Amino acid sequence: MMDGPAVDLRAVGKTYPGVELSLRGTKLETLGPALWVKNAIRAARLTIEAAPPVTALADVSLTVAPGEVLGVLGPNGSGKTTLIKILAGLIRPSAGSGSVVGYPLGSSDAIRRRVSYVSTTGWMGLEWALSARDNLRFFAELSGMSPALARTRTDEVLGALDLTDDAYKLTSELSNGMRQRLIMARALLWRTPLVLLDEPFVGLDPGHRQALSDYIRRELPARGQTVVISDHQAEVVESVADRVLILDKGRVRALGTVAHIMQSLSGLIVLEVVTELSDTPVLSPPPLVRRVERRMRPGPLGLMHWRLTVEQGPSTFSAVLTWLSSAGGRIVEVEERRPGLQDVMADSTVLAAEGA
Amino acid sequence: MTTPASRRVARAVWRQTAALGAFTLREYRIWQSYRVNQIMWLTNIFVTTLLFFLMGRMLTAADAHLMGAAYGTNYMSFVVVGIAVNTFLFTNLADPYTRIQRSYFNGTMDLFLLSPMSIFMPLVGLMTKSLLDDYPRLFIVGAFGMLLFGAQFRFQFSLAALGFTILLLAAAFGIGAISASSFYLLNIKRGTEPVRFIVQQLLATLLAGTYYPITVLPRPLQWVACFIPHTYAFDALRRLLDPGANMGLPVLPVQRIVPWSPLTVDAVALGLMTAILLPLGFLLYGRGIEKARREGTLTRWQ
Repeated sequence: MMDGPAVDLRAVGKTYPGVELSLRGTKLETLGPALWVKNAIRAARLTIEAAPPVTALADVSLTVAPGEVLGVLGPNGSGKTTLIKILAGLIRPSAGSGSVVGYPLGSSDAIRRRVSYVSTTGWMGLEWALSARDNLRFFAELSGMSPALARTRTDEVLGALDLTDDAYKLTSELSNGMRQRLIMARALLWRTPLVLLDEPFVGLDPGHRQALSDYIRRELPARGQTVVISDHQAEVVESVADRVLILDKGRVRALGTVAHIMQSLSGLIVLEVVTELSDTPVLSPPPLVRRVERRMRPGPLGLMHWRLTVEQGPSTFSAVLTWLSSAGGRIVEVEERRPGLQDVMADSTVLAAEGA
Repeated sequence: MTTPASRRVARAVWRQTAALGAFTLREYRIWQSYRVNQIMWLTNIFVTTLLFFLMGRMLTAADAHLMGAAYGTNYMSFVVVGIAVNTFLFTNLADPYTRIQRSYFNGTMDLFLLSPMSIFMPLVGLMTKSLLDDYPRLFIVGAFGMLLFGAQFRFQFSLAALGFTILLLAAAFGIGAISASSFYLLNIKRGTEPVRFIVQQLLATLLAGTYYPITVLPRPLQWVACFIPHTYAFDALRRLLDPGANMGLPVLPVQRIVPWSPLTVDAVALGLMTAILLPLGFLLYGRGIEKARREGTLTRWQ
């Protein structure tokens, strides 16, 4: 086990160079040789074409202790996958410094021997003409395990992921959820100090999702393995992580334990309100309203669903309902609940990052 | 007594060997799982050889001089060497780019680049399926040619022929690695890859002399042919294997101006090409990987 933190990032950022697809209105990708010449010129740095760069991650600082499970939460495009690929050494950060499993971020060779990775659509990397078991054995043998150890480990992870009965099925015969469990099994083969899971629960039924959450929560930290797990569903991350990092547009919005983050939300409530289809309220929202989200509710009735994050107080209800009524639609339903991580993820005004 | 350094080297060698073994085993399992494919594979080899047998029958004794005195008089022997060598040459040259492209798009490249093996191992390991598919063609084309279509060979220079074959495969793999490097280095991810297209589909197909001696080409094109390894390999292998071939008669333009025996010219040219192309291929591929890491294009965005 390493002495220092499993992950230590300081002001890490990633800006992707812009991608230019056309020149003077001509689609270059349809002209193979033209694209080749253009790229050759660019590679030789004879010209620099200014396409707008994309900042995927900015100023991310965090540490993760050995054996800790860190959940990374954020909407699509928030930088979760970029962060995980940086930790895996698949992407070089364009700013900042840090270490992963005790090695500087740039040491891809050292890091990749100590990291397991499940990507969102990792099932595509499975060989469909081979059985579940043969797929796993291939990756076990790839790491230099002896055939005997590869067999033992393969059977072990198949059992842990409830795939023993399906071990000899071809990958093409497995359901989506089974394939997802298979790629999870693949990540568990190597028992690396750091396990990176990028949306590992995609396609899993609730039972297997719960079983996998329990397994990640219970078994991996017990072996001293550190886990960084990303998802865009708060309840998934909440159920498995010791601490949660919330990203938005590449920036850290919150970092801390679920309790710590929820504490920061004390004094706030979420109102789920259903109204008849109406215009925008003519009045300004009352100052106690921190966030407004509205969408058409599917169905023939023409209803509008409002989700309001508001400060709790004696006049909260009346102020909010007066404001909504000014839009002209009748209020059909009101429900109050405590805010959760999902609300934090969507609300840029609520929290400041821990230590930021 | 072993030192820590030697143990590290031994571990690294074992790891790479194990990885190559794992690739080979996996590709063999996949290859043998497609039974119908194997029948089509054999049929394809048979038809290709038959095609040139039928074309060869059009050559009369009077036409034999077109083949050039250096390569004997049996067109089937001439063309069997061309077809056989071309099949596995095609693998070494064209396969690296195709395999890297496929594993990038199907998401396996992430896993390979995170596995404890050299970044070059996928380049070699992923080729093993094609090696299983293409290398045996050498022997099957030879067998069909000899048993069914009248091709004849002499085997007293087999060792030298093997040496030339190894040099040729190494040089071709160097070009293949350069071609694969363009996937990352020049970001060519779709369509036809230019290095492979120019060398394999343009120069080698037209100029290397797979089906005819390059002496039938205009002189400037014969000079162009001297810049690809195929030309020297075909020349050497035909001189060594075809009965009645002449070891001393120069055919290639370079052989005419350099005062060495034609086989020496072939060996030196192939050796030089290997010494340049192979390290260059690995260098460019490594640079490509590093560039892709910086730009975030190493693995497919999912």
